[in-house]
Amino acid sequence: MISADQSSAIDSDPEAADDVDEAALASVLRTVPLGAAVLAGSTVALLVIGYLIVYLLVFIPRGIVG
Amino acid sequence: MSDARHEVDERWILRTELLWAFGVGVFIAAALGMILFTALTISVNPPSNVERIDPKALHLSGEFAEHNLGTTVSGDGTVIVRAIATQFMFVPQCIAVPANRRVTLRFASPDVIHGLLITGTNVNTMVIPGFVAQVHTEFTRTGDLLMPCHEYCGQGHSEMWATVQVLPENRFKPGSDGRVSCAQR
Repeated sequence: MISADQSSAIDSDPEAADDVDEAALASVLRTVPLGAAVLAGSTVALLVIGYLIVYLLVFIPRGIVG
Repeated sequence: MSDARHEVDERWILRTELLWAFGVGVFIAAALGMILFTALTISVNPPSNVERIDPKALHLSGEFAEHNLGTTVSGDGTVIVRAIATQFMFVPQCIAVPANRRVTLRFASPDVIHGLLITGTNVNTMVIPGFVAQVHTEFTRTGDLLMPCHEYCGQGHSEMWATVQVLPENRFKPGSDGRVSCAQR
């Protein structure tokens, strides 16, 4: 049970709580797209490699079908 | 953030997105190219056949009557296998096929939807009542292969399987009627 002197997170101003330096934020945002590209790129590359391994080493040697 | 900085970032993001789109485009083109190449050079295609058949009269006459089931070699050397998938068995239970030769597999169902695959090969199809499922393939290895039903068809589904016996060319001998049965062991 919340007593009268306890403030909940809802009462606090979200803008005031987010006290981040503008320059630091800009610096982080500059590197984020690169990180996202590396993460997405390596994930997709792994999927493509998996697809190629299954297609070339499993599907094709199993013989024709049609 | 200054306008100049903002503009630089937008250009960088746009460049990244274009690069990503290019990479994805190259992959899609390569995958489609590979599928097209194998389709044109070694005839690898998704099996597609729309051919209707009356499921209520399968056993009475025509292609899937009992005396027609199994492996048949026609005069021109074409190997055709006809089998029925029914609750809860394949008829016939054993199918003899030659190795390294094009085979046409034809299946029909008189009752519910079945499915089948032949282990170690790319043969994989559904058998829908009212239609003939047809797959062309070439078996590259000799030996016995398992052919289970892979579409849940009722309580006996797990007992529904057949054997595909891939015989070397010198043991694949059609009788005078052009029919081939599994070798007795």
